[in-house]
Amino acid sequence: MIILYFSIAFILASLVFFFKNQTVNRIMSGLFLLSQIGFNFYSISNIGKYDSIYYKFDALGGLFSIVLSILSLATFYHSYLYFQRHEFSKKQESAYYSALIMLIASMMSANYAENIALLWVSIEATTLFVSLLIFHERTKDALEAAWKYLFISSVGVAIAFMGILFFSMAPGINGLSTLSLNNLIMNAKDINPLWLKIAFLLVLTGFSAKMGIFPLHTVTVDAHTVAPPPISAFISTSLMNVGFLGIFRIFTIIAKTSTLYWAQNVLLIVGIISITMSAIQILRTKHYKRMFAFSSLEHMGIVALGLAAGGIGYYAAILHLVFHSFVKASLFYQIGQVHSIYKSYYFKDTGKYFKFYSLGGLAFLLCFVCITAIPPSGLFISEFLIFKALFIQNRIIVAILALVLLTVILYVFGKNTLHLLYADKPENVDLNNVTINKFETLSQFVLLGLVIYLGISPPIFFTDLINSAISILK
Amino acid sequence: MIDIFIILYSMTLIYFALAERVSKYVILLFIQGVLLFCVLFFSLYKIEIFDFIFILLETILVKAIILPWFMNKVRRQNQLKRENDTYIPVFYSIIIVVICLLVSFFLSSKLQDTQIHSKYFTVAFASVIFGIYFIIIHRNIFSHVVGYLIIENGIFLISLALGSKMPMMVNLAVLLDVLMGVLVLGIFVNRIGNTFESVEIGHLTQLKD
Repeated sequence: MIILYFSIAFILASLVFFFKNQTVNRIMSGLFLLSQIGFNFYSISNIGKYDSIYYKFDALGGLFSIVLSILSLATFYHSYLYFQRHEFSKKQESAYYSALIMLIASMMSANYAENIALLWVSIEATTLFVSLLIFHERTKDALEAAWKYLFISSVGVAIAFMGILFFSMAPGINGLSTLSLNNLIMNAKDINPLWLKIAFLLVLTGFSAKMGIFPLHTVTVDAHTVAPPPISAFISTSLMNVGFLGIFRIFTIIAKTSTLYWAQNVLLIVGIISITMSAIQILRTKHYKRMFAFSSLEHMGIVALGLAAGGIGYYAAILHLVFHSFVKASLFYQIGQVHSIYKSYYFKDTGKYFKFYSLGGLAFLLCFVCITAIPPSGLFISEFLIFKALFIQNRIIVAILALVLLTVILYVFGKNTLHLLYADKPENVDLNNVTINKFETLSQFVLLGLVIYLGISPPIFFTDLINSAISILK
Repeated sequence: MIDIFIILYSMTLIYFALAERVSKYVILLFIQGVLLFCVLFFSLYKIEIFDFIFILLETILVKAIILPWFMNKVRRQNQLKRENDTYIPVFYSIIIVVICLLVSFFLSSKLQDTQIHSKYFTVAFASVIFGIYFIIIHRNIFSHVVGYLIIENGIFLISLALGSKMPMMVNLAVLLDVLMGVLVLGIFVNRIGNTFESVEIGHLTQLKD
């Protein structure tokens, strides 16, 4: 079934690429979304089953695919609006849509890959497509960001591949099932702990460029700054989930061995450094999208702390990723609207947003409340659980340090949000040719509402998915 | 027989540190591709004949023909000739590459793991480390792509050192991904060459707070 899905995605993407026609773009995007949702339903109803020897519909992949499908709906809609606001050639537009379709397909492949080498292949493929999308506006900054993203991610991912190769030394693994996750988990105890440690370090370093945590986080920050807002929304949500998945799969292999405690310590260090970097750099930033990028860095740091804490922390880390995806995506969609009024992403060019467009202002305020984990945001619950887990594990100093740093980030975020909403009107704002579709903001309210609803009363189906995703760690 | 090719491979690394012309890099990449093909030819005799031919073919095609040819094309388009823009003089680079090789010799003799072929591992490890060093010392992004390819060749040798037998389809997918990656990197090098009229990394420093 997954092969069918890939073929459909590939055919649609090539049609979009070769026709270079707006109507074809829209029809093909619609068809792709249909097949995406259809495949998603199929995979959710078949959880636990293999699809060919390389893919398995597992709970965590299923959960991330649902998030991916919801965000693809919103992203395609916002991309459509993005192209209405900005003038681009037909060639650029069709290149954008075909790269977007292929990006979503490769993220789906990463979500369900059972063979870790195939997981690597999918993640490398996402790098290629996303760098084309970052380059979409064809400016010098875009070129720089795309080059840095592509080159540093490629080198990082190559290093991660070295780590994956070390797993192939597990005894008793050969033939077609080499590097299959299931086999590796069963044979993990027989692998030399030294190799496990080296492999984990290499994979963590490599995939940190994708997940946007400490060693290689800089490229994702730059990428957020210049990418079109719908793509930024993808980079900091689904793509980060894919990076997390890469690290998490390796973590599940280690979880049953004596190396677990060591790996958790590494994650603890990575998490706390990420939050520190974010708190330092967010103070200096003057650009809304960079501020959101540093906020993503902070949230990924919290997720790493959740994995490091263990116990309820595992559950909370995955919950946090899901909630963060919805909130951060709506922030990026909203900033696209802000840009259509002020024609700038810099703090100094904005102000009085509430007066210009009150519905958008309300959405932004709600986004701020949700992203900084103020109740009733779902992120409050996940962060609370993560810190609870840290306290239970006696990592008190780290937890307190992280909480202090979060206060700094909350301050910066609050200051700049209030500046956008209430500061004096900047001088040269021209509202005459600004068109904002009311439904545009609705999509953000839906996503935020979902976060609040899932935080307050999560449906059984949702908690079951997370619980079965982490059952392998217990 | 394999020893000769391995030694030749490590000599190409030293030559990389020594070379000053960009065209030499392309030739060296071609030589590395051929050497990897030879190493593979003499080390993989135990597998099925079909797999054997397939793996050999993809190696020679991608590593020794397509990639060097493409890199040469990129080099011509950007009119890169003399590469005298390293941060560190050639003399020190040679010392460092030799130290790289020595360290990896000691490391692999220390490891004593029965599952690792230490012959391959020595050169592979040196190749990865040297690739990273190569990227760091160069100012121009074409050389960065060359450094990336050196790392990739090193990883290819590591996969031989660990005796990993990946499923055929996965193996093919990995190679195709690397190929696609280099093609896109090359396209971006051309773009940067056209936009900034130079491929120096110094131009790419606009994004900051």
